[in-house]
Amino acid sequence: MNEIILGTRIRQRRREMGTTQSDLAKKIGISASYLNLIEWNKRRIAGTLLKKIADALELSLNSLDDITERRLLSTLSEVAHLGPLEGSGIEESRTGELIGRFPGWAKAIATLARSERDARNAVQSLSDRLSNDPFLGEEVHRMLTRVSVIRSVSDILVEYPDISSERRDRFNNIIHEEIGVLSNVGEALAAYLDKSEHAEHILTPTDEVESLLNAYDNHFEVIERATRELKFKTNDPLPVSRREKARALSEERLGDVIDAVIKSHPTIETASARDRARRALSDYAAGAILMPMNSFTKKAIELRYDVEALAEAFSSDVDAVCRRLNALPPGENIPKIGYFRANAAGTTVEALGVEGLNIPKYSSACPLWVLYRAQQSPEAFIRQRALFPWGARFIFVARARNTGTTGFGKPRHYLTDMIAMSEADAAHTIYAPDHSSPVEEVGPSCRLCPRRTCVHRVEDLLAD
Amino acid sequence: MAKRILLVEDEPHIVESLTFLLEKSGFEVSVEINGRQALNHALSAPPDALILDVMLPELDGYEVLRQLRDDARTAKLPILMLTAKGQREDREMAARCGADRFMTKPFANADLIAAVKELANVGQD
Repeated sequence: MNEIILGTRIRQRRREMGTTQSDLAKKIGISASYLNLIEWNKRRIAGTLLKKIADALELSLNSLDDITERRLLSTLSEVAHLGPLEGSGIEESRTGELIGRFPGWAKAIATLARSERDARNAVQSLSDRLSNDPFLGEEVHRMLTRVSVIRSVSDILVEYPDISSERRDRFNNIIHEEIGVLSNVGEALAAYLDKSEHAEHILTPTDEVESLLNAYDNHFEVIERATRELKFKTNDPLPVSRREKARALSEERLGDVIDAVIKSHPTIETASARDRARRALSDYAAGAILMPMNSFTKKAIELRYDVEALAEAFSSDVDAVCRRLNALPPGENIPKIGYFRANAAGTTVEALGVEGLNIPKYSSACPLWVLYRAQQSPEAFIRQRALFPWGARFIFVARARNTGTTGFGKPRHYLTDMIAMSEADAAHTIYAPDHSSPVEEVGPSCRLCPRRTCVHRVEDLLAD
Repeated sequence: MAKRILLVEDEPHIVESLTFLLEKSGFEVSVEINGRQALNHALSAPPDALILDVMLPELDGYEVLRQLRDDARTAKLPILMLTAKGQREDREMAARCGADRFMTKPFANADLIAAVKELANVGQD
Protein backbone atom coordinates (compact mmCIF):
# COMPACT_ATOMS: atom_id res chain seq x y z
CA MET A 1 0.00 0.00 0.00
CA ASN A 2 1.33 3.39 -0.88
CA GLU A 3 1.57 5.54 2.22
CA ILE A 4 2.48 8.64 0.22
CA ILE A 5 -0.91 8.63 -1.46
CA LEU A 6 -2.72 7.11 1.49
CA GLY A 7 -2.03 9.91 4.02
CA THR A 8 -2.99 12.57 1.52
CA ARG A 9 -6.23 10.76 0.66
CA ILE A 10 -7.16 10.47 4.33
CA ARG A 11 -6.59 14.17 4.84
CA GLN A 12 -8.51 15.04 1.71
CA ARG A 13 -11.49 12.85 2.61
CA ARG A 14 -11.60 14.12 6.23
CA ARG A 15 -11.73 17.70 4.96
CA GLU A 16 -14.46 16.84 2.46
CA MET A 17 -16.52 15.43 5.34
CA GLY A 18 -15.95 18.57 7.40
CA THR A 19 -14.40 16.57 10.24
CA THR A 20 -11.56 17.98 12.32
CA GLN A 21 -8.38 16.05 12.92
CA SER A 22 -9.13 15.74 16.64
CA ASP A 23 -12.70 14.48 16.01
CA LEU A 24 -11.49 11.79 13.65
CA ALA A 25 -8.59 10.88 15.96
CA LYS A 26 -11.00 10.47 18.88
CA LYS A 27 -13.36 8.35 16.82
CA ILE A 28 -10.64 5.88 15.86
CA GLY A 29 -8.90 5.94 19.22
CA ILE A 30 -5.55 7.57 18.43
CA SER A 31 -4.03 10.92 19.32
CA ALA A 32 -4.57 13.90 17.01
CA SER A 33 -0.81 14.33 16.68
CA TYR A 34 -0.44 10.72 15.48
CA LEU A 35 -3.23 11.22 12.93
CA ASN A 36 -1.44 14.36 11.83
CA LEU A 37 1.71 12.33 11.16
CA ILE A 38 -0.33 9.77 9.20
CA GLU A 39 -2.04 12.47 7.14
CA TRP A 40 1.31 14.01 6.25
CA ASN A 41 2.60 10.63 5.15
CA LYS A 42 5.11 10.35 7.96
CA ARG A 43 3.75 7.18 9.53
CA ARG A 44 2.92 3.89 7.82
CA ILE A 45 -0.43 2.33 8.68
CA ALA A 46 -2.07 -0.96 7.93
CA GLY A 47 -4.36 -3.62 9.40
CA THR A 48 -6.92 -2.73 12.04
CA LEU A 49 -6.08 0.95 12.21
CA LEU A 50 -6.42 1.34 8.48
CA LYS A 51 -9.76 -0.46 8.60
CA LYS A 52 -10.96 1.85 11.39
CA ILE A 53 -9.96 4.95 9.42
CA ALA A 54 -11.65 3.62 6.27
CA ASP A 55 -14.85 2.95 8.26
CA ALA A 56 -14.78 6.37 9.89
CA LEU A 57 -14.32 8.02 6.50
CA GLU A 58 -17.03 5.79 5.02
CA LEU A 59 -14.62 4.43 2.42
CA SER A 60 -13.72 0.92 1.36
CA LEU A 61 -10.17 -0.26 1.91
CA ASN A 62 -9.76 -0.60 -1.84
CA SER A 63 -10.67 2.99 -2.50
CA LEU A 64 -7.89 4.07 -0.14
CA ASP A 65 -5.38 2.11 -2.14
CA ASP A 66 -6.31 2.22 -5.76
CA ILE A 67 -4.18 0.22 -8.16
CA THR A 68 -4.72 2.94 -10.77
CA GLU A 69 -3.19 5.47 -8.43
CA ARG A 70 -0.17 3.31 -7.81
CA ARG A 71 0.39 3.04 -11.54
CA LEU A 72 -0.06 6.79 -11.77
CA LEU A 73 2.58 7.24 -9.10
CA SER A 74 4.97 5.02 -11.02
CA THR A 75 4.34 6.93 -14.28
CA LEU A 76 4.83 10.30 -12.62
CA SER A 77 8.05 9.09 -11.01
CA GLU A 78 9.27 8.27 -14.52
CA VAL A 79 8.19 11.72 -15.71
CA ALA A 80 10.22 13.30 -12.91
CA HIS A 81 13.35 11.74 -14.41
CA LEU A 82 12.73 12.66 -18.05
CA GLY A 83 15.85 14.20 -19.56
CA PRO A 84 14.26 17.43 -20.85
CA LEU A 85 12.81 18.12 -17.38
CA GLU A 86 16.16 17.88 -15.68
CA GLY A 87 16.80 20.91 -13.50
CA SER A 88 13.16 21.97 -13.46
CA GLY A 89 12.95 21.36 -9.71
CA ILE A 90 10.20 18.71 -9.73
CA GLU A 91 9.22 17.92 -6.13
CA GLU A 92 9.40 14.17 -6.63
CA SER A 93 8.93 13.43 -2.94
CA ARG A 94 5.52 15.12 -3.13
CA THR A 95 4.20 13.15 -6.13
CA GLY A 96 1.75 11.25 -3.94
CA GLU A 97 0.39 14.52 -2.63
CA LEU A 98 -0.13 15.74 -6.20
CA ILE A 99 -2.11 12.59 -7.03
CA GLY A 100 -4.16 12.81 -3.83
CA ARG A 101 -4.98 16.50 -4.11
CA PHE A 102 -5.11 17.08 -7.86
CA PRO A 103 -5.96 13.72 -9.42
CA GLY A 104 -7.13 15.33 -12.68
CA TRP A 105 -3.86 17.15 -13.23
CA ALA A 106 -1.88 14.08 -12.25
CA LYS A 107 -3.75 11.99 -14.83
CA ALA A 108 -3.28 14.70 -17.45
CA ILE A 109 0.49 14.74 -16.90
CA ALA A 110 0.62 10.95 -17.10
CA THR A 111 -1.46 10.98 -20.30
CA LEU A 112 0.90 13.52 -21.87
CA ALA A 113 3.89 11.44 -20.82
CA ARG A 114 2.36 8.32 -22.37
CA SER A 115 1.52 10.16 -25.54
CA GLU A 116 5.11 11.45 -25.77
CA ARG A 117 6.38 7.92 -25.26
CA ASP A 118 4.03 6.52 -27.92
CA ALA A 119 5.26 9.17 -30.35
CA ARG A 120 8.84 8.22 -29.54
CA ASN A 121 8.04 4.54 -30.14
CA ALA A 122 6.35 5.37 -33.44
CA VAL A 123 9.46 7.28 -34.55
CA GLN A 124 11.56 4.29 -33.56
CA SER A 125 9.38 1.93 -35.53
CA LEU A 126 9.46 4.17 -38.63
CA SER A 127 13.18 4.68 -38.30
CA ASP A 128 13.69 0.93 -38.16
CA ARG A 129 11.56 0.46 -41.21
CA LEU A 130 13.18 3.17 -43.31
CA SER A 131 16.60 1.72 -42.61
CA ASN A 132 15.88 -1.94 -43.07
CA ASP A 133 12.55 -2.68 -44.64
CA PRO A 134 13.27 -4.81 -47.73
CA PHE A 135 10.00 -3.82 -49.43
CA LEU A 136 10.66 -0.09 -49.05
CA GLY A 137 14.29 -0.53 -50.12
CA GLU A 138 13.27 -2.42 -53.24
CA GLU A 139 10.49 0.03 -54.19
CA VAL A 140 12.66 3.09 -53.66
CA HIS A 141 15.32 1.47 -55.83
CA ARG A 142 12.73 0.80 -58.55
CA MET A 143 11.48 4.35 -58.30
CA LEU A 144 14.95 5.86 -58.65
CA THR A 145 15.71 3.64 -61.63
CA ARG A 146 12.49 4.73 -63.38
CA VAL A 147 13.20 8.38 -62.64
CA SER A 148 16.72 7.96 -64.06
CA VAL A 149 15.40 6.66 -67.34
CA ILE A 150 12.81 9.41 -67.63
CA ARG A 151 15.35 12.10 -66.81
CA SER A 152 18.02 10.78 -69.16
CA VAL A 153 15.68 10.17 -72.10
CA SER A 154 13.78 13.44 -71.74
CA ASP A 155 17.10 15.31 -71.58
CA ILE A 156 18.17 13.57 -74.78
CA LEU A 157 14.97 14.75 -76.49
CA VAL A 158 15.78 18.32 -75.51
CA GLU A 159 19.56 18.19 -76.02
CA TYR A 160 19.47 16.43 -79.41
CA PRO A 161 16.69 18.13 -81.42
CA ASP A 162 17.98 16.69 -84.69
CA ILE A 163 17.51 12.99 -83.87
CA SER A 164 15.52 10.88 -86.31
CA SER A 165 11.75 10.80 -85.97
CA GLU A 166 11.96 7.05 -85.48
CA ARG A 167 14.28 7.42 -82.52
CA ARG A 168 12.21 10.31 -81.16
CA ASP A 169 9.11 8.08 -81.21
CA ARG A 170 11.05 5.33 -79.54
CA PHE A 171 12.22 7.64 -76.73
CA ASN A 172 8.71 9.05 -76.31
CA ASN A 173 7.42 5.50 -75.93
CA ILE A 174 10.09 4.78 -73.32
CA ILE A 175 9.03 7.84 -71.33
CA HIS A 176 5.39 6.80 -71.62
CA GLU A 177 6.16 3.25 -70.40
CA GLU A 178 8.38 4.41 -67.58
CA ILE A 179 5.80 6.89 -66.32
CA GLY A 180 3.29 4.03 -66.19
CA VAL A 181 5.68 1.91 -64.13
CA LEU A 182 6.56 4.88 -61.91
CA SER A 183 2.91 5.48 -61.27
CA ASN A 184 2.50 1.83 -60.18
CA VAL A 185 5.48 2.11 -57.87
CA GLY A 186 3.99 5.27 -56.38
CA GLU A 187 0.66 3.54 -55.81
CA ALA A 188 2.33 0.51 -54.22
CA LEU A 189 4.32 2.74 -51.90
CA ALA A 190 1.27 4.80 -50.97
CA ALA A 191 -0.79 1.66 -50.25
CA TYR A 192 2.03 0.20 -48.22
CA LEU A 193 2.55 3.34 -46.15
CA ASP A 194 -1.20 3.68 -45.70
CA LYS A 195 -1.42 0.12 -44.41
CA SER A 196 1.59 0.75 -42.18
CA GLU A 197 -0.06 3.82 -40.72
CA HIS A 198 -3.01 1.73 -39.61
CA ALA A 199 -1.07 -1.32 -38.65
CA GLU A 200 1.69 0.53 -36.79
CA HIS A 201 4.70 -1.77 -37.01
CA ILE A 202 2.99 -4.88 -38.37
CA LEU A 203 5.07 -6.07 -41.28
CA THR A 204 5.90 -9.73 -40.94
CA PRO A 205 4.10 -12.83 -39.64
CA THR A 206 6.23 -12.54 -36.49
CA ASP A 207 4.94 -8.99 -36.03
CA GLU A 208 1.36 -10.21 -36.49
CA VAL A 209 1.81 -12.80 -33.75
CA GLU A 210 3.54 -10.33 -31.44
CA SER A 211 0.66 -7.97 -31.95
CA LEU A 212 -1.74 -10.71 -30.82
CA LEU A 213 0.32 -11.54 -27.73
CA ASN A 214 0.71 -7.88 -26.80
CA ALA A 215 -2.99 -7.17 -27.32
CA TYR A 216 -3.73 -9.71 -24.59
CA ASP A 217 -0.77 -8.61 -22.46
CA ASN A 218 0.30 -12.21 -23.08
CA HIS A 219 -2.33 -13.49 -20.67
CA PHE A 220 -5.01 -15.71 -22.20
CA GLU A 221 -7.58 -16.43 -19.54
CA VAL A 222 -9.58 -18.66 -21.87
CA ILE A 223 -6.54 -20.93 -22.37
CA GLU A 224 -5.68 -20.83 -18.65
CA ARG A 225 -9.24 -22.01 -17.91
CA ALA A 226 -9.20 -24.71 -20.56
CA THR A 227 -5.90 -26.16 -19.33
CA ARG A 228 -7.30 -26.48 -15.79
CA GLU A 229 -9.74 -29.04 -17.13
CA LEU A 230 -7.05 -31.16 -18.77
CA LYS A 231 -5.51 -34.15 -17.06
CA PHE A 232 -1.78 -34.26 -17.53
CA LYS A 233 0.56 -36.72 -15.93
CA THR A 234 4.17 -37.40 -16.65
CA ASN A 235 7.05 -38.67 -14.62
CA ASP A 236 9.56 -37.48 -17.15
CA PRO A 237 12.28 -35.63 -15.26
CA LEU A 238 13.53 -33.77 -18.33
CA PRO A 239 12.03 -30.27 -18.73
CA VAL A 240 12.31 -30.41 -22.52
CA SER A 241 10.33 -33.61 -22.94
CA ARG A 242 7.78 -32.61 -20.26
CA ARG A 243 7.21 -29.46 -22.26
CA GLU A 244 6.91 -31.33 -25.54
CA LYS A 245 4.35 -33.70 -24.06
CA ALA A 246 2.35 -30.79 -22.65
CA ARG A 247 2.52 -29.03 -26.01
CA ALA A 248 1.31 -32.16 -27.81
CA LEU A 249 -1.58 -32.44 -25.37
CA SER A 250 -2.60 -28.83 -25.86
CA GLU A 251 -2.38 -29.16 -29.64
CA GLU A 252 -4.58 -32.25 -29.47
CA ARG A 253 -7.16 -31.01 -26.99
CA LEU A 254 -7.17 -27.22 -27.16
CA GLY A 255 -7.04 -26.66 -30.92
CA ASP A 256 -10.53 -25.11 -31.01
CA VAL A 257 -9.87 -22.76 -28.10
CA ILE A 258 -6.58 -21.62 -29.64
CA ASP A 259 -8.12 -21.15 -33.08
CA ALA A 260 -10.93 -19.07 -31.59
CA VAL A 261 -8.40 -16.73 -29.97
CA ILE A 262 -6.51 -16.38 -33.26
CA LYS A 263 -9.71 -15.80 -35.24
CA SER A 264 -10.77 -13.04 -32.89
CA HIS A 265 -7.64 -11.01 -33.57
CA PRO A 266 -7.79 -8.94 -36.79
CA THR A 267 -4.03 -8.51 -37.27
CA ILE A 268 -3.49 -12.22 -37.92
CA GLU A 269 -3.92 -12.02 -41.66
CA THR A 270 -1.49 -14.43 -43.25
CA ALA A 271 -1.39 -18.24 -43.20
CA SER A 272 2.17 -18.12 -41.92
CA ALA A 273 1.11 -15.87 -39.02
CA ARG A 274 -1.74 -18.25 -38.18
CA ASP A 275 0.69 -21.19 -37.99
CA ARG A 276 3.10 -19.21 -35.84
CA ALA A 277 0.28 -18.02 -33.59
CA ARG A 278 -0.91 -21.62 -33.17
CA ARG A 279 2.60 -22.70 -32.15
CA ALA A 280 2.98 -19.75 -29.77
CA LEU A 281 -0.38 -20.38 -28.11
CA SER A 282 0.22 -24.14 -27.87
CA ASP A 283 3.47 -23.30 -26.14
CA TYR A 284 1.56 -20.89 -23.90
CA ALA A 285 -0.90 -23.67 -23.06
CA ALA A 286 1.99 -26.05 -22.34
CA GLY A 287 3.32 -23.48 -19.87
CA ALA A 288 -0.12 -23.22 -18.30
CA ILE A 289 -0.33 -27.03 -17.97
CA LEU A 290 3.09 -27.38 -16.38
CA MET A 291 2.88 -24.21 -14.28
CA PRO A 292 -0.80 -23.56 -13.50
CA MET A 293 -1.28 -19.84 -12.91
CA ASN A 294 -2.56 -20.05 -9.32
CA SER A 295 0.28 -22.18 -8.01
CA PHE A 296 2.81 -20.41 -10.22
CA THR A 297 1.78 -17.00 -8.88
CA LYS A 298 2.00 -18.21 -5.28
CA LYS A 299 5.42 -19.74 -5.83
CA ALA A 300 6.62 -16.68 -7.75
CA ILE A 301 5.68 -14.42 -4.84
CA GLU A 302 7.28 -16.81 -2.36
CA LEU A 303 10.51 -17.02 -4.36
CA ARG A 304 10.42 -13.32 -5.21
CA TYR A 305 10.23 -14.03 -8.95
CA ASP A 306 13.61 -15.76 -8.96
CA VAL A 307 13.70 -17.31 -12.44
CA GLU A 308 16.28 -19.95 -11.61
CA ALA A 309 14.50 -21.05 -8.42
CA LEU A 310 11.14 -21.16 -10.22
CA ALA A 311 12.63 -23.27 -13.01
CA GLU A 312 13.82 -25.72 -10.39
CA ALA A 313 10.55 -25.65 -8.44
CA PHE A 314 8.52 -26.51 -11.56
CA SER A 315 11.19 -28.68 -13.24
CA SER A 316 10.95 -26.31 -16.14
CA ASP A 317 13.12 -24.48 -18.66
CA VAL A 318 14.27 -20.96 -17.89
CA ASP A 319 12.64 -19.53 -21.02
CA ALA A 320 9.32 -21.20 -20.17
CA VAL A 321 9.47 -19.61 -16.71
CA CYS A 322 10.30 -16.22 -18.24
CA ARG A 323 7.25 -16.48 -20.53
CA ARG A 324 5.09 -17.50 -17.59
CA LEU A 325 6.31 -14.48 -15.61
CA ASN A 326 5.37 -12.33 -18.57
CA ALA A 327 1.88 -13.87 -18.47
CA LEU A 328 1.19 -13.04 -14.82
CA PRO A 329 -2.09 -11.14 -14.62
CA PRO A 330 -1.91 -7.66 -13.08
CA GLY A 331 -2.42 -7.50 -9.33
CA GLU A 332 -1.27 -5.82 -6.18
CA ASN A 333 2.50 -5.96 -5.88
CA ILE A 334 2.72 -8.17 -8.97
CA PRO A 335 5.51 -6.78 -11.15
CA LYS A 336 4.93 -6.43 -14.89
CA ILE A 337 7.71 -8.47 -16.41
CA GLY A 338 8.74 -8.27 -20.06
CA TYR A 339 10.54 -11.04 -21.91
CA PHE A 340 13.10 -10.76 -24.70
CA ARG A 341 15.11 -13.35 -26.56
CA ALA A 342 18.10 -12.65 -28.81
CA ASN A 343 20.39 -14.84 -30.88
CA ALA A 344 24.15 -14.61 -31.31
CA ALA A 345 23.77 -12.26 -34.27
CA GLY A 346 22.05 -9.78 -31.97
CA THR A 347 18.66 -10.29 -33.61
CA THR A 348 15.72 -10.01 -31.27
CA VAL A 349 13.89 -13.26 -31.87
CA GLU A 350 11.08 -12.56 -29.46
CA ALA A 351 9.95 -9.42 -27.68
CA LEU A 352 7.10 -9.52 -25.19
CA GLY A 353 7.44 -5.98 -24.07
CA VAL A 354 6.72 -4.12 -20.95
CA GLU A 355 5.20 -0.65 -20.93
CA GLY A 356 7.73 2.04 -21.76
CA LEU A 357 10.33 -0.33 -23.16
CA ASN A 358 10.58 -0.80 -26.89
CA ILE A 359 13.23 -2.66 -28.78
CA PRO A 360 14.07 -2.09 -32.44
CA LYS A 361 13.31 -5.20 -34.42
CA TYR A 362 14.78 -4.34 -37.79
CA SER A 363 17.89 -2.37 -36.95
CA SER A 364 20.57 -2.78 -34.37
CA ALA A 365 19.49 -2.09 -30.84
CA CYS A 366 21.69 -0.51 -28.20
CA PRO A 367 24.64 -2.90 -27.73
CA LEU A 368 24.92 -1.84 -24.11
CA TRP A 369 21.88 -3.89 -23.12
CA VAL A 370 22.86 -6.95 -21.10
CA LEU A 371 20.74 -8.94 -23.59
CA TYR A 372 23.68 -8.71 -26.00
CA ARG A 373 26.42 -9.10 -23.39
CA ALA A 374 25.19 -12.22 -21.63
CA GLN A 375 26.74 -14.53 -24.23
CA GLN A 376 30.16 -13.54 -22.92
CA SER A 377 29.29 -15.44 -19.72
CA PRO A 378 27.04 -18.32 -20.78
CA GLU A 379 24.66 -19.88 -18.25
CA ALA A 380 25.18 -17.07 -15.70
CA PHE A 381 22.28 -14.82 -14.70
CA ILE A 382 23.42 -11.21 -15.08
CA ARG A 383 21.50 -8.25 -13.73
CA GLN A 384 21.71 -4.80 -15.24
CA ARG A 385 20.35 -1.59 -13.81
CA ALA A 386 19.62 0.34 -16.99
CA LEU A 387 19.04 4.06 -17.20
CA PHE A 388 17.48 5.40 -20.41
CA PRO A 389 18.14 8.91 -21.74
CA TRP A 390 14.59 10.01 -20.85
CA GLY A 391 15.10 8.94 -17.24
CA ALA A 392 13.25 5.60 -17.21
CA ARG A 393 14.99 2.95 -15.14
CA PHE A 394 14.66 -0.73 -15.87
CA ILE A 395 16.12 -3.86 -14.38
CA PHE A 396 17.27 -6.41 -16.95
CA VAL A 397 18.18 -9.97 -16.03
CA ALA A 398 19.72 -12.02 -18.81
CA ARG A 399 21.15 -15.47 -19.25
CA ALA A 400 22.59 -17.15 -22.32
CA ARG A 401 21.89 -20.85 -22.87
CA ASN A 402 23.33 -23.33 -25.29
CA THR A 403 20.84 -24.51 -27.88
CA GLY A 404 23.23 -26.58 -29.98
CA THR A 405 24.01 -30.24 -29.54
CA THR A 406 26.29 -30.94 -26.62
CA GLY A 407 29.57 -32.81 -26.78
CA PHE A 408 33.26 -32.15 -27.18
CA GLY A 409 34.13 -30.27 -30.33
CA LYS A 410 30.50 -29.50 -31.13
CA PRO A 411 29.80 -25.85 -31.87
CA ARG A 412 27.88 -23.96 -29.22
CA HIS A 413 24.92 -21.86 -30.34
CA TYR A 414 23.66 -19.52 -27.68
CA LEU A 415 20.32 -17.82 -27.27
CA THR A 416 19.85 -15.22 -24.59
CA ASP A 417 16.69 -14.95 -22.50
CA MET A 418 16.11 -11.70 -20.69
CA ILE A 419 13.39 -10.48 -18.38
CA ALA A 420 12.84 -6.77 -17.92
CA MET A 421 10.88 -4.74 -15.41
CA SER A 422 10.73 -1.18 -14.21
CA GLU A 423 12.94 -0.47 -11.23
CA ALA A 424 9.81 0.25 -9.18
CA ASP A 425 8.43 -3.21 -10.01
CA ALA A 426 11.80 -4.85 -9.35
CA ALA A 427 11.44 -3.83 -5.70
CA HIS A 428 9.09 -6.81 -5.28
CA THR A 429 11.63 -9.24 -6.69
CA ILE A 430 14.90 -10.89 -5.83
CA TYR A 431 16.46 -8.67 -8.51
CA ALA A 432 15.80 -5.41 -6.62
CA PRO A 433 19.01 -3.40 -6.75
CA ASP A 434 20.41 -1.77 -3.65
CA HIS A 435 21.70 1.77 -3.72
CA SER A 436 25.24 0.66 -4.38
CA SER A 437 24.29 -1.25 -7.56
CA PRO A 438 25.87 0.56 -10.48
CA VAL A 439 23.55 2.28 -12.92
CA GLU A 440 24.42 1.75 -16.57
CA GLU A 441 23.43 4.34 -19.13
CA VAL A 442 21.84 2.64 -22.14
CA GLY A 443 19.67 3.79 -25.02
CA PRO A 444 16.95 2.56 -27.37
CA SER A 445 18.94 2.48 -30.65
CA CYS A 446 21.57 4.88 -31.98
CA ARG A 447 19.10 6.58 -34.32
CA LEU A 448 16.94 7.62 -31.37
CA CYS A 449 19.54 8.00 -28.67
CA PRO A 450 20.53 11.52 -27.67
CA ARG A 451 23.78 10.39 -25.99
CA ARG A 452 25.87 12.08 -28.65
CA THR A 453 29.28 11.28 -27.19
CA CYS A 454 28.63 7.56 -26.67
CA VAL A 455 31.65 5.65 -27.99
CA HIS A 456 29.41 2.79 -29.11
CA ARG A 457 27.44 4.95 -31.53
CA VAL A 458 27.26 3.41 -35.01
CA GLU A 459 24.53 5.51 -36.64
CA ASP A 460 23.65 9.18 -36.50
CA LEU A 461 20.71 10.43 -34.50
CA LEU A 462 17.58 10.46 -36.70
CA ALA A 463 16.61 14.08 -35.97
CA ASP A 464 20.05 15.58 -35.40
CA MET B 1 40.15 5.28 -82.93
CA ALA B 2 37.03 5.38 -80.76
CA LYS B 3 37.42 4.55 -77.10
CA ARG B 4 35.64 1.38 -76.07
CA ILE B 5 33.19 1.49 -73.19
CA LEU B 6 31.69 -1.59 -71.58
CA LEU B 7 28.28 -0.76 -70.14
CA VAL B 8 27.10 -3.27 -67.52
CA GLU B 9 23.46 -2.60 -66.79
CA ASP B 10 20.38 -4.80 -66.67
CA GLU B 11 17.75 -2.08 -67.17
CA PRO B 12 17.05 -2.07 -70.94
CA HIS B 13 15.83 1.53 -71.10
CA ILE B 14 18.89 2.84 -69.30
CA VAL B 15 21.03 0.78 -71.65
CA GLU B 16 19.22 2.35 -74.61
CA SER B 17 19.62 5.94 -73.43
CA LEU B 18 23.24 5.53 -72.30
CA THR B 19 24.23 3.75 -75.49
CA PHE B 20 22.76 6.61 -77.51
CA LEU B 21 24.56 9.24 -75.38
CA LEU B 22 27.91 7.46 -75.40
CA GLU B 23 27.81 6.83 -79.14
CA LYS B 24 26.88 10.45 -79.75
CA SER B 25 29.96 11.35 -77.69
CA GLY B 26 32.16 9.24 -79.92
CA PHE B 27 32.52 6.08 -77.86
CA GLU B 28 32.18 2.54 -79.08
CA VAL B 29 29.77 0.77 -76.72
CA SER B 30 29.38 -2.88 -75.71
CA VAL B 31 26.69 -4.01 -73.30
CA GLU B 32 26.47 -6.80 -70.75
CA ILE B 33 23.39 -7.35 -68.64
CA ASN B 34 24.68 -9.76 -66.01
CA GLY B 35 27.66 -9.69 -63.65
CA ARG B 36 29.26 -12.99 -64.63
CA GLN B 37 29.25 -12.23 -68.38
CA ALA B 38 30.49 -8.70 -67.68
CA LEU B 39 33.45 -10.10 -65.73
CA ASN B 40 34.36 -12.54 -68.51
CA HIS B 41 33.99 -9.86 -71.16
CA ALA B 42 36.15 -7.33 -69.29
CA LEU B 43 38.86 -9.88 -68.53
CA SER B 44 39.07 -11.24 -72.06
CA ALA B 45 38.81 -7.90 -73.86
CA PRO B 46 39.44 -5.03 -71.41
CA PRO B 47 37.64 -1.86 -72.56
CA ASP B 48 38.98 1.68 -72.09
CA ALA B 49 36.44 2.31 -69.33
CA LEU B 50 33.65 0.42 -67.65
CA ILE B 51 30.28 1.64 -66.41
CA LEU B 52 29.05 -0.77 -63.78
CA ASP B 53 25.66 -1.04 -62.10
CA VAL B 54 25.57 -2.50 -58.57
CA MET B 55 22.45 -4.65 -58.59
CA LEU B 56 23.03 -7.24 -61.29
CA PRO B 57 21.98 -10.84 -61.85
CA GLU B 58 24.45 -13.64 -60.96
CA LEU B 59 27.31 -11.48 -59.64
CA ASP B 60 26.67 -8.09 -58.11
CA GLY B 61 28.63 -5.02 -59.18
CA TYR B 62 30.86 -5.00 -56.09
CA GLU B 63 31.92 -8.59 -56.68
CA VAL B 64 32.62 -7.90 -60.36
CA LEU B 65 34.70 -4.90 -59.29
CA ARG B 66 36.62 -6.91 -56.69
CA GLN B 67 37.49 -9.66 -59.14
CA LEU B 68 38.53 -7.19 -61.83
CA ARG B 69 40.87 -5.47 -59.39
CA ASP B 70 42.39 -8.83 -58.44
CA ASP B 71 43.34 -9.55 -62.03
CA ALA B 72 46.44 -7.91 -63.52
CA ARG B 73 44.68 -7.34 -66.86
CA THR B 74 42.01 -5.14 -65.32
CA ALA B 75 43.62 -3.97 -62.06
CA LYS B 76 43.85 -0.42 -63.42
CA LEU B 77 40.79 -0.44 -65.66
CA PRO B 78 38.91 2.87 -65.15
CA ILE B 79 35.56 1.99 -63.58
CA LEU B 80 32.51 4.11 -62.86
CA MET B 81 29.92 2.65 -60.48
CA LEU B 82 26.40 3.72 -61.33
CA THR B 83 23.68 2.90 -58.85
CA ALA B 84 20.40 3.93 -57.32
CA LYS B 85 21.92 3.19 -53.91
CA GLY B 86 23.53 6.42 -52.82
CA GLN B 87 24.02 6.02 -49.12
CA ARG B 88 27.35 6.70 -47.47
CA GLU B 89 27.95 2.96 -46.94
CA ASP B 90 27.44 2.30 -50.66
CA ARG B 91 29.99 4.97 -51.61
CA GLU B 92 32.44 3.59 -49.07
CA MET B 93 31.88 0.06 -50.31
CA ALA B 94 32.50 1.15 -53.91
CA ALA B 95 35.71 2.96 -52.89
CA ARG B 96 36.92 -0.05 -50.89
CA CYS B 97 36.32 -2.37 -53.82
CA GLY B 98 38.36 -0.07 -56.05
CA ALA B 99 35.90 2.07 -58.06
CA ASP B 100 37.38 5.21 -59.62
CA ARG B 101 34.09 7.11 -59.66
CA PHE B 102 30.68 6.65 -58.08
CA MET B 103 27.50 8.19 -59.49
CA THR B 104 23.94 7.80 -58.29
CA LYS B 105 20.76 7.47 -60.30
CA PRO B 106 19.09 9.68 -61.38
CA PHE B 107 22.04 11.38 -63.05
CA ALA B 108 22.45 14.29 -65.43
CA ASN B 109 23.53 13.10 -68.90
CA ALA B 110 26.22 15.78 -69.13
CA ASP B 111 27.77 14.77 -65.80
CA LEU B 112 27.88 11.13 -66.77
CA ILE B 113 29.46 11.76 -70.15
CA ALA B 114 32.02 14.13 -68.60
CA ALA B 115 32.95 11.47 -66.03
CA VAL B 116 33.32 8.77 -68.68
CA LYS B 117 35.45 11.03 -70.88
CA GLU B 118 37.70 11.78 -67.94
CA LEU B 119 38.01 8.11 -67.05
CA ALA B 120 38.69 7.01 -70.62
CA ASN B 121 41.49 9.58 -70.86
CA VAL B 122 42.94 8.39 -67.57
CA GLY B 123 42.92 4.90 -68.99
CA GLN B 124 44.99 6.09 -71.98
CA ASP B 125 47.87 7.32 -69.76
